[in-house]
Amino acid sequence: MKNNNSQKNQKLRNDIILAVVIVFIAAAGLLLFVLTKQEGSTVAVKIDGVVTDTYPLSENREVSIKTGENDENINILTIKDGKASISEADCPDKICVETRAVSFVGETIVCLPHKIVIEITNEKTDDQIDVAV
Amino acid sequence: MKRFLSLLLGVVIITIQMIGFSGCDNETQPEKFKAYYFDYFDTATTIIGYAESKEEFDKICEDIKTQLNKYHRLFTIYNRYEGLNNLVTINDVDDGKHNVVTVDKEIIDMLTFAKEMYHKTNGTVNVAMGSVLKIWHVYRNAGLDDPFNAELPPMDKLKDASKHTNINDLIIDAENNTVFLADPEMSLDVGAIAKGYAVEKVADYLESKGITNFLLNVGGNVRTIGMADTEKWKVGIENPDTNNEEQPYIEYLKVAGESVVTSGSYQRFYVVNGENYHHIIDPETLMPGTKYRSVSVLTDDSGIGDAMSTALFLMDYEDGKQLVESTDNVEAMWVLPDGKQQYSSGFEAYTFEYVQK
Ligand SMILES: [Zn+2]
Repeated sequence: MKNNNSQKNQKLRNDIILAVVIVFIAAAGLLLFVLTKQEGSTVAVKIDGVVTDTYPLSENREVSIKTGENDENINILTIKDGKASISEADCPDKICVETRAVSFVGETIVCLPHKIVIEITNEKTDDQIDVAV
Repeated sequence: MKRFLSLLLGVVIITIQMIGFSGCDNETQPEKFKAYYFDYFDTATTIIGYAESKEEFDKICEDIKTQLNKYHRLFTIYNRYEGLNNLVTINDVDDGKHNVVTVDKEIIDMLTFAKEMYHKTNGTVNVAMGSVLKIWHVYRNAGLDDPFNAELPPMDKLKDASKHTNINDLIIDAENNTVFLADPEMSLDVGAIAKGYAVEKVADYLESKGITNFLLNVGGNVRTIGMADTEKWKVGIENPDTNNEEQPYIEYLKVAGESVVTSGSYQRFYVVNGENYHHIIDPETLMPGTKYRSVSVLTDDSGIGDAMSTALFLMDYEDGKQLVESTDNVEAMWVLPDGKQQYSSGFEAYTFEYVQK
């Protein structure tokens, strides 16, 4: 009887340890899931309101965005170190080039003459800011 | 073993539920949509809104576009439209003088508001400054087109033009819906007022239709209509030091129904001999204002916000602060040339601490 009891206790202890381990693994998994959810922001290129391309914010690259009837307008989108900017453009006002690099979800760069919007998006998180003034 | 399996199953179910709740969207919850337009007020328009469906959002956007288009056509000083008397018609000169022009009631109301703002800001915001601003416009565009030969407008030219900026020569006949510029050499430039005024009108219209959870941004004139779904809208105030990559925003605001407008020397400028010359022209010096890097205004009325941000940008701090404190529902933040920030008494109630993820 005594022996049986301690065996039961032993079993219970094993179960508790197991439960703790499983809960820990599950919590770690959930944490990882939540963390990776935050990442994976995307640079969306919209021309006259329509998304034409998307690129991961985490990969450095340079893209030439061509607009106009004969692709005569050019904006160079540069994604570097987790930030996106227009590094060059042949638009008359150059406001897009002067706009600082963006990285927050919800931030945009606009080229009015070429009707281009560069927007940081992330399907999994809320916009970090809705608007900049 | 049985007990182990049931325990494992339990944990797995709980985990799946937690992930499920955090990841999936609830079908009854409204979704966030955005739209961009490029055809109004020579600037970009952004509409953000929460709606049950894309169709519902698009329908409201069409409504907003119709409204913006109406005000754009009426208030533009650059475009003519057949069969429509607008500000271009008022500025027209025939046989050495302006005509008495019959206009839409909306123009009468906007110009009446502009006159009110003139008096409220002690003449700092003056829509009768067209003759001066026109010269700056020409030199700025030439400088942007050909940066190596960019020039400043000659001061004597500006001074001559400034003799024709008397607001009392703008004659509004509200009974007969006519406008007349009594000085043949004067012209209207409503750049510091019309955009914000129009945004306010459109917002009023949306509110009257019961639409909520929308945000209008017409070239930096931001007006919120209700909340952003269940939370407030998050507005970043841009760092006027555009080279500061560490701190893109100097302040974060949470608003629900208010308007936020910033006037800044970093916004629209051209470069002459290595110096930046921006577009907010002081009626006293006839040169771009140099008192601040930027001024942000938070109000419940985007028209007042537009006019006040220009006025405060050009006014001495003490005068500006007094104007803000004596006006209901207006708060402001000034960024001085050394980067120091000053606030009106109620401004900081809207700020929140931004936590980097
Ligand atoms: Zn551009």
